[in-house]
Amino acid sequence: MKSPRFGFLLACALATMAGFAPAQQKKRDLVVWGISFGPDTKGQEAVVREFSRRHPDVNVRILSMGAGNMNPQKLLTSIVGNVAPDVINQDRFSVSDWASRNAFTPLDDFIAKDAGKDPLCPRPDQYYKAVWAEANYQGHLYGVPTGADNRILYYNKKIFRDNADALRAAGLDPERPPRTWSELLKYGKILTPPLQNGQFVRTGFMPNFGNSWLYMYAFQNNASFISEDGRKCTMNTPEAAQALKFIVDGYDQIGGYEKAKEFESGFLTNENDAFVLGKVAMKIDGDWILNTLSRYGPSLEIGVAPPPVPDDRYYHRGRFKDEKDTYITWLGGYCLAIPRGARNPSDAWNFIKFFTSTEGRIIADSAQKNWEQLRGRAFIPRQEGSREANEAIYQQFKPADPKFAVALRQHMDLMNFGRIRPVTFVGQTLWSNHVKAMETACYHKASPEEALQQAQQVVQRDLDAYFDRETHPIINLAIPLWIGIILGIIGLVVLLVMFLRLKMGRLERQEAWWAYLFVSPWAIGFLVLTLGPMLASLFFSFTQYDVLNEARWVGLKNYRDIGGADWINTAKSLANAAYLAALTVPSTLAVGLAIALLLNQAARGMRFYRTFFYMPAIVPGVASAVLWLWVLTPDPNKGLLNAGWQQTITPWLGLSPPGWTQSADWSKSALVVMSMWGAGSGMILWLAGLKGVSTTLYEAASIDGANPRQTFWSITFPQLSPIIFFNAVMGFIGAMQEFDRIYIMKPSADGPVGPDDSMLTPVYSLFNNGFAYFKMGYASSLAWMIFSIILILTYTQFKLSPRWVHYETDK
Amino acid sequence: MTSSNFLFAFGTLLTWIGWFSAAGTVWTLFQMAINRTGIDPRRTMRSLTSSGLTAALCFIALAVLPMHASTKASAGFRLPLVWFVMPYSGWLGCASLAMAAYRLFQGILSISSTERIERIKAAGCWALALIAFVFLYRRDPANKIEIITGGLWLTTQTTVAVLLLAIAGIAAMVLAGRSTTTKGYARTIVTQSALLAGSIVFGLPFAFLVITSFKEDRDMSSPNGIVWVPRVQDTVPYFDKKSPLYKANFQNETVEGTIAKKNSDGTVKMDIIRPMAIRGTSFDVPMASLKEIPKEIPVVSGKADGVSFEGKVIEEMDDGHRRVEFLQPASLAGRQQVFAPADVEPVRHIGLRWANYSEAISFLPPETANGLVYLKNTLILVVMSVLGTILSSAVVAYAFSRLRFPGRDVMFTVLLSTMMLPAAVTLMPQFLIFRSLNWIDTLYPLWVPAFFASAFNVFLLRQFFKGIPMELEDAAKIDGCTYLKTFWSVMLPQIKPALAVIAVWTFMGAWNNFMGPLIYINSPENMPLSYALQLFQGDRGGEPGLLMAFATLCMMPVLAVFFFAQRYFIEGVTLSGLGGR
Repeated sequence: MKSPRFGFLLACALATMAGFAPAQQKKRDLVVWGISFGPDTKGQEAVVREFSRRHPDVNVRILSMGAGNMNPQKLLTSIVGNVAPDVINQDRFSVSDWASRNAFTPLDDFIAKDAGKDPLCPRPDQYYKAVWAEANYQGHLYGVPTGADNRILYYNKKIFRDNADALRAAGLDPERPPRTWSELLKYGKILTPPLQNGQFVRTGFMPNFGNSWLYMYAFQNNASFISEDGRKCTMNTPEAAQALKFIVDGYDQIGGYEKAKEFESGFLTNENDAFVLGKVAMKIDGDWILNTLSRYGPSLEIGVAPPPVPDDRYYHRGRFKDEKDTYITWLGGYCLAIPRGARNPSDAWNFIKFFTSTEGRIIADSAQKNWEQLRGRAFIPRQEGSREANEAIYQQFKPADPKFAVALRQHMDLMNFGRIRPVTFVGQTLWSNHVKAMETACYHKASPEEALQQAQQVVQRDLDAYFDRETHPIINLAIPLWIGIILGIIGLVVLLVMFLRLKMGRLERQEAWWAYLFVSPWAIGFLVLTLGPMLASLFFSFTQYDVLNEARWVGLKNYRDIGGADWINTAKSLANAAYLAALTVPSTLAVGLAIALLLNQAARGMRFYRTFFYMPAIVPGVASAVLWLWVLTPDPNKGLLNAGWQQTITPWLGLSPPGWTQSADWSKSALVVMSMWGAGSGMILWLAGLKGVSTTLYEAASIDGANPRQTFWSITFPQLSPIIFFNAVMGFIGAMQEFDRIYIMKPSADGPVGPDDSMLTPVYSLFNNGFAYFKMGYASSLAWMIFSIILILTYTQFKLSPRWVHYETDK
Repeated sequence: MTSSNFLFAFGTLLTWIGWFSAAGTVWTLFQMAINRTGIDPRRTMRSLTSSGLTAALCFIALAVLPMHASTKASAGFRLPLVWFVMPYSGWLGCASLAMAAYRLFQGILSISSTERIERIKAAGCWALALIAFVFLYRRDPANKIEIITGGLWLTTQTTVAVLLLAIAGIAAMVLAGRSTTTKGYARTIVTQSALLAGSIVFGLPFAFLVITSFKEDRDMSSPNGIVWVPRVQDTVPYFDKKSPLYKANFQNETVEGTIAKKNSDGTVKMDIIRPMAIRGTSFDVPMASLKEIPKEIPVVSGKADGVSFEGKVIEEMDDGHRRVEFLQPASLAGRQQVFAPADVEPVRHIGLRWANYSEAISFLPPETANGLVYLKNTLILVVMSVLGTILSSAVVAYAFSRLRFPGRDVMFTVLLSTMMLPAAVTLMPQFLIFRSLNWIDTLYPLWVPAFFASAFNVFLLRQFFKGIPMELEDAAKIDGCTYLKTFWSVMLPQIKPALAVIAVWTFMGAWNNFMGPLIYINSPENMPLSYALQLFQGDRGGEPGLLMAFATLCMMPVLAVFFFAQRYFIEGVTLSGLGGR
């Protein structure tokens, strides 16, 4: 620092940077999120490249990492933080969710400017009606659709033929697929052979295997999920209940949902795909499976048909007498949108136009075809949301194998009969609650009607909260902020005056000034990063605030919600934390104690051993979570733990390997196993505790003739109980704040935290509310709930075992 | 299936506990009856009640458990523990026989006559029990001692597992306090094997990680259990005349690719194959600047007209068939034939697939300079956090421990009370603060707070400062040092070990920080390793070889630091007691 040469160098460096900087910034950056680059998306890459070639002044930056499964938290944080991407590839059904939060830019102005002038500009008439409608919200367009996927019935003709006699005996035609629900059930029943050793060999039809969900069956039965005006959730109608009952019946007739799920959990992918192997005779699925089928089951005799519909609909009678359409399916897909605050919207619009245009789509498919052909594979194009592109692509890339061409055509023909999920801002909630209702009914925990009723209430609550928001007064956040700052300054001035008026010697005063200077890093940090935020968080906990829109004062509503409307989640998260602590504390204790005792031996090579036992605690958390995700893979052909289980416990006790992170019952145990692996290092503490037990007690006991068991229970355990209690409390506090590894290890990127929310912890819940939904107010109230629980626990801890309060003794 | 088996196993266990407790009760009663010397009546009564009660409870539970059907049907499922299929009487008979023989043997070998009589008496009791059980067994003709063959599959894995279990069991017993009875060398063996077994258990996931990072895709999933020995495909260099591979220069990078199209002006359009991050990119390049390089093509083996051969795959065709040029035997060499994929087997040798590492890196976004940017960001984060934490905590701790000033105790109490404040409370307002500073998508929110001293570190350092003798400071004062100088030159060197421990904690905390980057960082240029790894997992989760390679790379620096600063790590973990989390 002191050397003048350093200063000179610095000046030079600055000058160089200044000189070069403008030259580099000539290109305009265009940041695109949500398009993943991988072997199956070579086409996307090709379009992006072609766009860059045509727009040499634009530097397209695809955030390739983490793009495949775009997570809402990242997007919202970036929008709120003013660093939004320019283009985002978004699941269409959630567009209205984002639009309602004011997080996407309407595209109407762009369209109005380009319509008729630019041939690339999307026109509604190019698109399938439902696809286009899904990207609109309240009369504005928020995204341009890209792909579209609908569901059809796939069936294995060979299985039909092999069971022709049985089918004929039941009055069914083995030459054709089922067309109605009742036929579907009959075929499914006959094509499911009896269980062997309590296990399925094959299932004829599992209603939700593939991709149909309740949505598709409900659409077929003319059920709606949200009322026309968008204010009422209508998923509890008899039509929806009927559809759900069909699903439940479908499972019950072959042996129940649980058995079916067990069967499914053994399914693998690629060449071991259940449909390819003939373990499933029929399924309803989307066009994405065609590539797997052509690659791994080219000789499979597949047949396709529209998904079977309710009998009344098929025969146009009863409720469906005047219904025009016989077949109905479900339609989804993605679209490109421009988030609010995008820095380069005009290039973003150019990109979207090119990417979604028929020309762009054909470039993509040509590139993908070349890529596949280089690898000796057949190419089957995916479905597009644009009818024009879809037809052109079919002409150009029609699969050579007629059965795949027929399947593709079937998908295309049904496009006009695809229904979309309701355009509503509660799309995500609706989706997850519809899944929950389906599971509840299938497990027979409630009747279809009751299950849907429960789900309806949850969704309705969110709807009501949104429409009632007007009743809460808007508050200007600047006022409390300034009040806080002014009060803070006044406080500091008062303290200063008090200090100056103290009677002190010169040296004393000098020392005090120095001390204040030294303490200032902490003091400033405390005021700005701790006390201020704490008060702010307390204030927010009485408001409804999503950063993008103005805050509203809601009083105690957030706290009431913790115990009321959202009690399911609160209770679940707390119960999970308690469960986790209850399992983790004793098991890590046992493992750690064993290791502590082992490492306490005098043995050769202790350094080497110690390294092994300590290493798990040193490994970066993310890396160990990633590693354990693989160790805990349920498939015994892949996962280390289950491979071992399969070789040992299964033949000995007949227990099949558990699903670990994939199963609601085992996911917490998975975390515990992982904790046990990392338990080796912290247990010196326990050793210290053990050594702290006075030997005189043991001597006295041995004189009295106590046996080892009595000694343990009468001396060691009571003496160690404060440590045990301390660990239990700390374990619970730690479990409440568990986040990182759950984030990495939970099976689905969004939706429930672990199967059936079994890995939801209080801090995870807070993170979700705060940063995924930006319910800052509610998240703050959760933070205060966590804080109060910790306070109470710590207080109890202090009261019950004062010997653990180190700092009270050293004064 | 599972639940019924489990129920049966549980029921069997209960039955056994019940029988043993009952036997224990009878035995105690018997002892009381013959009035053996040295029996404490109170203890006997207590053990009598406890074992009797246990037996009763077990039997009641058994009566309730719906396991009667399962006990009969031994054929329905495989229960490998052989005594499970013996009737209880049979098994108890065996146990009695063993005990009788054991006691008899003891009796013969005993030194004193009194002991011999005791032992033989006991043996007699067991023999009586044996007779009783044999009678019970004989009474029911349906009872058969059946040993299910194949019940316990003695594969290599199970044998190893059983051995490990035995070792662990012995170790546990020895360590539980019986060690005094074993001889020195036996003890060493037991300790060493226990340590070894433990190391294996704890090291296994690591081994899995490292080995997986060297495996080929086809070895990732195997129905015969985990593949522990990585193999790689044999390849031979081959100049493909149909679509030759070329080396070229593209944007100052050496790339490999094939010619997609010949342009009319003498240039060619080239498709990039490597590096992965830009594969598929095509560009125009003059033909003259290309240099042909050989392709590495796989070697396969199979049978052609009953003759086994080895050959190289010179073409993979559209329909999945392969054109193979024979290498061996000599009679076929040079000839070509087309095979279906199922008819040829890849020729592989044991080896490491290093390509996983280079491929993992080549998949990273180009702007991260092969992942070095991630490392740079992590290093910035780590260095700044460590620096900030040490400086600020030390200076604050010094003031609290050695200087007198009004309000010290109040401030210190406040400081201590912030220790239990969960980070969650300040998370969101802090986000808003950093947002208003425009610090989103920068590294600042992750390390700047480190410069404001954390309560726990201050508390810890204060304890260390208090341990330094006052004289040292007084001497410095007399020499005319200012407080800053005293702190820096006299006090700070005294607490170096504590600072090292804090540095190690902060290092680990910063290296592992995940939630911070998750909230604040969006673009690859600003990402630290931890978050990049999570994103990589999301993107390349289907390719475990690459994922594990990247995870190994992320771990390496920490492990390296660990080996150099092992002492401080272990001290740090011990001091914090946080290792279990």
